[in-house]
Amino acid sequence: MLLNLNTITKKYPGVVANDSVSLQLEAGQILALLGENGAGKSTLMKILAGLVQPDDGQIRVQGETVTIRSPSHSRQLGIGMVQQHFALFDGLSAIDNIALGLPQLPRAELRTRATQLAHTYGFKLDLDEAVFALSAGEKQRIEIVRTLLGEPKILILDEPTSVLTPQEADQLFEAIRRMAEKGHGIIFISHKLDEVARLCDSAVILRRGRVVGTCDPRETSNADMAAMMLGSRLPERIDAEPRTLGQTQLSIQNARSVQGDAAISTLSVRAGEILGIAGVAGNGQDAVFALLSGESPASDPESLRWQEAAVGGFDPNRRRTALGWAFVPEERLGHGAVPHLSLTENALLTNLADPTFASQHWIHWGQVTHTAETIAADFDVRHSGLHRQARSLSGGNLQKFVVGRELLKHPNLLVINQPTWGVDMGAARRIRGAIQDLARAGGAAIVISQDLDELFELCDTLCVINQGTLQPPRPIGDWTLVELGLAMGGQLHEGAA
Amino acid sequence: MIQITRRADVTAVHSLLSVAIAAVLTIVISTGVLFLTAKAPVDALSQLLTYPYQGGTIMVQWSKALNMAAYLGVMGLGLSICYRANVWNIGAEGQFAMGGIGAFGTWLLLGSPTAAWAIPCLLIGGALAGLLWASIPALLKTRANTNELLTSLMLVYVAAQTLFFVSNGPWQAPVRYSPPQTIVLPETVQLNAMLTGVPTFHAGLPIALGLFVVIALLVLYTPFGYRLKVTETTPRAARFAGYSPAATVWAVFLLSGALSGVMGAIYLLGDIGYVTEESNFLRGFGFSAIVVAFLGRLHPVGILFAALLLGYVAGGASWIQANLREDDSIAGFIEVIALMSTLASALFLQYRVTWRGIIAQTQESP
Repeated sequence: MLLNLNTITKKYPGVVANDSVSLQLEAGQILALLGENGAGKSTLMKILAGLVQPDDGQIRVQGETVTIRSPSHSRQLGIGMVQQHFALFDGLSAIDNIALGLPQLPRAELRTRATQLAHTYGFKLDLDEAVFALSAGEKQRIEIVRTLLGEPKILILDEPTSVLTPQEADQLFEAIRRMAEKGHGIIFISHKLDEVARLCDSAVILRRGRVVGTCDPRETSNADMAAMMLGSRLPERIDAEPRTLGQTQLSIQNARSVQGDAAISTLSVRAGEILGIAGVAGNGQDAVFALLSGESPASDPESLRWQEAAVGGFDPNRRRTALGWAFVPEERLGHGAVPHLSLTENALLTNLADPTFASQHWIHWGQVTHTAETIAADFDVRHSGLHRQARSLSGGNLQKFVVGRELLKHPNLLVINQPTWGVDMGAARRIRGAIQDLARAGGAAIVISQDLDELFELCDTLCVINQGTLQPPRPIGDWTLVELGLAMGGQLHEGAA
Repeated sequence: MIQITRRADVTAVHSLLSVAIAAVLTIVISTGVLFLTAKAPVDALSQLLTYPYQGGTIMVQWSKALNMAAYLGVMGLGLSICYRANVWNIGAEGQFAMGGIGAFGTWLLLGSPTAAWAIPCLLIGGALAGLLWASIPALLKTRANTNELLTSLMLVYVAAQTLFFVSNGPWQAPVRYSPPQTIVLPETVQLNAMLTGVPTFHAGLPIALGLFVVIALLVLYTPFGYRLKVTETTPRAARFAGYSPAATVWAVFLLSGALSGVMGAIYLLGDIGYVTEESNFLRGFGFSAIVVAFLGRLHPVGILFAALLLGYVAGGASWIQANLREDDSIAGFIEVIALMSTLASALFLQYRVTWRGIIAQTQESP
């Protein structure tokens, strides 16, 4: 047994990141670690890398119980890790980057061994090329060669295909199989089900910090794995008062951002409707938000229509003033609020185009202060003075402030990205309640979230975003768990438009 | 080991503390260097600090300091607006030179008038020239995404060559001077001294003070100032608030260019009276203004004090050079030390530095 984790537990304030996680890895095995964002994969890997100490549980490496003290200790124990984000110096050549990680080896020997390794695993790699000139796949190969030169027994790959083309991914899988044949134990972290099914011979599925299942992905259907990943059943809808949906307000046809990083094929939102956008983090949620907020305008103004008017070319303030839209971005500090400015000053941030707040030449601080006070009172923002910097507030309180600032305008359309991310239960309930109140009063809302429970609690219709592309929405009751899991993993569900 | 952690909230106390640290550092290092380099260090130091009262005419000495502070303050405030918007205009020296050329050109265009009504026209001409000169890097940045740091600096040298060209070429005075220059503006269109015998205390100083106050109010209290505050730390929030990055680049370049330009015109009308080659026309105000902007932490009040400080020190350095035959480059040195100390002490403003034992570090295992 190469690696044996026994009831590993790690708690952070307010969340149990790993709850009695156990897993085993044998030599020659390719083990998938599957789970949504926030399932506890990263914490587990940080524990193995020696960056985080578990609160409880044992780690055994090749039969010996160990405490992994630091990243270098982790390497000494034979654990090699290829991170999702590369740690390479762009200006240096491949071989220089490799040498930086292994300063004790003579350069000539390093070159010979790196060439050998690349040959063994079928990597095409020019060791003298500068890193900035290389593709993502080539950079990853440098990382892999560098890690393998440390002669690890256990190799951990964190979402290795997220930056690769399908062809590069195929080559990587071939190399991983060869590594396993040579007796390495591999842990392959992913949320892409089809890759896991193709590559891995066993899988451990995490959900909310716990192991919820183990299986042989070659024999288990993708649908079953998706079901385990997302939980045994879909969350139930718990909106007490049903809402009546009005006329179509927003309709989008084949919209693309100017930068080309976001695309919406077809979407419409009615008055009183809450539309959810589900997806795994990093799939272009920010780009879609920017397309809707006008921070990156649509390449074709006709592709976004509000009550029949073409509005795709409007900038954020024109969308706010002329259309009555409001936006809450995911990033509170630095996007939705300015960390160094006071709460009062932050109350002005999205109201600049409103003449009651500021004319061309003067700011009506009386109105701004009054608004800040109203936001704090109505949305239960706990603060120690409105003159204090925004960054002195806790995440939940600042989020209530930002959401409150937008909802106080009674917008016709609210676009909100990760409304309750990193927010405590009480604040989350308050924010969700406010979104529902908005819809009940006839406003429309688009909620982008990774939290399926949240989406099922709030939304009337739901669509899935994958790699910057939004698939057409369907009524929330029409989604099955399997289809949702597959769509979030990048496969189109059957019967998709 | 030393640990540096970000402060959650920066208060006025931290601010004052870091200014005090910077001041102490500057005094200690500058005094040390003066003692190492000066022939008569004690004399040099005491006269450097108290030069207005060392036997010269008190008002003359004070007004030299105020005169220089006026140029540094207004131009430094203009540059601080750029830097707050993350626009790196370091070409104030060139915009200042073009201001002088523009004012003189305006005078020629108006048919070389001798009446005082020409003065405001010349000042406006200078402001426009500085504004146009600053619009070049703004255009290049917004259209071609060039680095304004390079373009604005390069244009300083183009402006210096333009000074050379006009004073040797089309505008050269019929009477040959060395170095070559234009004719001197008539007394009636100059900004005359407000005190007899104190030529540097001229009508340009109240104009500069007025400009400073107006721009300071603009920065502190208007929607434009709010825009700078938002853009300074969080460009993403600025876009979210609906500010166009290109419009910000234009606004700050044009405003700071016009301010440098009008100061160039004041310099022409109040201090020198003619246009001449770079070596005799430019005194490095545009570069010292960059130091002033950062020394004042990009805040109008700080900039005011920084400008007065550097103006005073420069006056003292030239006094000890004239009277004690000491090297006046000490002024430039103090300028640099003050800047370095201020930047270093900013660390204490933003971060908490604590000493933490190594044992405590490794004791995290269960």
